[in-house]
Amino acid sequence: MSRRRNSQGLEECWRGRAVSEGVVVGRVLRVFNGARQVYRATLDERDVERETRRFRAAIRLARRQLLAVKARAEKKLGAEHAYIFDAHLLMLEDRKLLGDVETFIREEHSNAEWAVKVAADRLLAVYDEIKDDYLRERGSDIEDVTQRILVALGGGRPHLRQLTEDAVIVAEDLLPSAVAELDLEHARAIATDAGGWTSHTAIIARSLGIPAIVGLRDLHRRARTGDRIVVDAQQGFVFLHPSQATVEHYKSLTASAAATVHETATEGGRSGPLRTLDGKEITLRANVELPAEYEDVRRFGARGIGLYRSEFLLSHKGTMPSEEEQLKAYEEVAALAGEDGANIRLFDLGGEKFGGATGDAERNPALGLRAIRFSLRQEDVLRTQARAILRASAKGKLDIVLPMISDLTDVRRARRIINDERARLEREGKVIGTVGIGAMIEVPSAVMSADKVAREVDFFSLGTNDLVQYLLAVDRANEEVADWFRSLHPAVLQSIERTLDAARKAFIPALVCGEMAGTPAYAVILIGLGATQLSMAATSIPRVRRVVEGIKFADAQQIARECLECEAADDVEEMVRVRFAELWPHLFPPKSLPAPRVEE
Amino acid sequence: MVEHWVEITNRLGLHARAAALLVRTASAYQSAVRLEREDRTASADAKSILSVLMLAASRGTKLLATAEGADEDQAMTALCELFASGFGEKESEPAS
Repeated sequence: MSRRRNSQGLEECWRGRAVSEGVVVGRVLRVFNGARQVYRATLDERDVERETRRFRAAIRLARRQLLAVKARAEKKLGAEHAYIFDAHLLMLEDRKLLGDVETFIREEHSNAEWAVKVAADRLLAVYDEIKDDYLRERGSDIEDVTQRILVALGGGRPHLRQLTEDAVIVAEDLLPSAVAELDLEHARAIATDAGGWTSHTAIIARSLGIPAIVGLRDLHRRARTGDRIVVDAQQGFVFLHPSQATVEHYKSLTASAAATVHETATEGGRSGPLRTLDGKEITLRANVELPAEYEDVRRFGARGIGLYRSEFLLSHKGTMPSEEEQLKAYEEVAALAGEDGANIRLFDLGGEKFGGATGDAERNPALGLRAIRFSLRQEDVLRTQARAILRASAKGKLDIVLPMISDLTDVRRARRIINDERARLEREGKVIGTVGIGAMIEVPSAVMSADKVAREVDFFSLGTNDLVQYLLAVDRANEEVADWFRSLHPAVLQSIERTLDAARKAFIPALVCGEMAGTPAYAVILIGLGATQLSMAATSIPRVRRVVEGIKFADAQQIARECLECEAADDVEEMVRVRFAELWPHLFPPKSLPAPRVEE
Repeated sequence: MVEHWVEITNRLGLHARAAALLVRTASAYQSAVRLEREDRTASADAKSILSVLMLAASRGTKLLATAEGADEDQAMTALCELFASGFGEKESEPAS
């Protein structure tokens, strides 16, 4: 933790997990969504009636707010994800809840806030007893609704609505409804104490392009609304009370980043391949999950969709989309991707999404029944999805990606089922395009047998996030072991090289998708290792493009070779810092490179 | 009063979306509509989502639906149709 004195106090620095990229200089807006402090007050008999009316008015206010939130969520995330707000609306109108609260006010002469809290606590106690995991989770919906009523009783709108121009949301954690309520015109970034890479908040922040850092431990307690703050979600740093030097450094960074985005966005329609200075052609594609991101795919000139995360089609808590619903979604993706095509990754889900459909909670879900394993077990799910993709391929170029395959056994089983559906559709007289089947290489065993897998698939898709997690045995959502999550670990680089090499020898294309591809410094290493296709969040494309245009492939290759020789992750990072600063100081300001590890 | 046995056939059981549909349907009628688990461990007012969720009715659960009031027959017909349709989810085939 670095401390420098400035006019406002001490500059303090936190390191967290950046879950959505970007750099922002702004002011703190502290948001509470933990337990609101509620006190009991005893009313005079004559005030009871007025208290009941106040409660009813609050319900009406909360209802109006919720309707507005629901409409916004429908627009941004699609109707299938907005239904949760419909359930919240019904809870607000619930006779049992309203009845319990009003009875308590009347009989106990209690203030409405206390009555709401008592009624909610009683309900939550009952939900805690429910054996079904999925239904028990509905408790968080009750908390969310209760919170909303309490805010409305305070007469206020939720805090999130009162945003200044440069507001950085600082919270312990954000409930899904709070995220949907963010006034995105004004919220500039999110920083939370809790949360992991895969939290709902992180995913939504990422897809809507607001920088977000999670896992900041005690930032919320230390920050005050109005404090100056810098959020560097490239590196995962947050500076509270930043010094003038820090602010200026970051302001210059954001100015140049804005210029890059602007410049590239206005060139959106440009044609011709992207090449390094020495002529190596590199293709940049987009990772997509939410409809809200579709516009960015075109705007930033992605060459089609490298990774479509189909699991986002599942509604908030796991209702399976029907074949027709999927067909519609995939046709939309095909139209969006145009002639460059789209890779549809089959559902990357674990059994936990299905409300206990697969029995008891798994002790170790990351190593459990998920992704292709889940689809092979729930064969009807795989068949429905395959049919929808095959049918949609009549409308545009689509390929299928099999997630988390361990070796050829998974590929063969999935292929047999997909071909089965293909034959059936053909018998039904349906038109089907040429749909390739690719393998996601992210499990170490798949890396080790990449040469064999390459012979039986049409392409590779390297998922670096999971590869790093499985190869280094590090849970990327666990803050305690964040120091062990090293994307530049020599073993990771060797695995990537080995996979790319296997693809080359089998004459199949290989695409690298995952956070590494969208991070300029890492992208250079990937290119040096032989990657020619990178897929990333569309908003990352301008930054990576600028770097690709500014380097020589031969230099990247040389550095990658030197990195492969390194003994440990620290050495690779040091190598990257030194060599990048020598060769490309104009492309990589010091803060854009991996920070040296400091002993705390 | 009319009564009828219904069974949960959709994958997730009476989860938030299905429960919301059920409550909206029941609330369209004047009659009092109740649901009781076959094992008699819980019964619910079908017009209260919190009450319905507390049935913790997963797939395969049998419920006794009752309706009482001026439009009890219409209410029961609508309810039975909703259950029979698996709450409009197409993925309601049995688990493999």
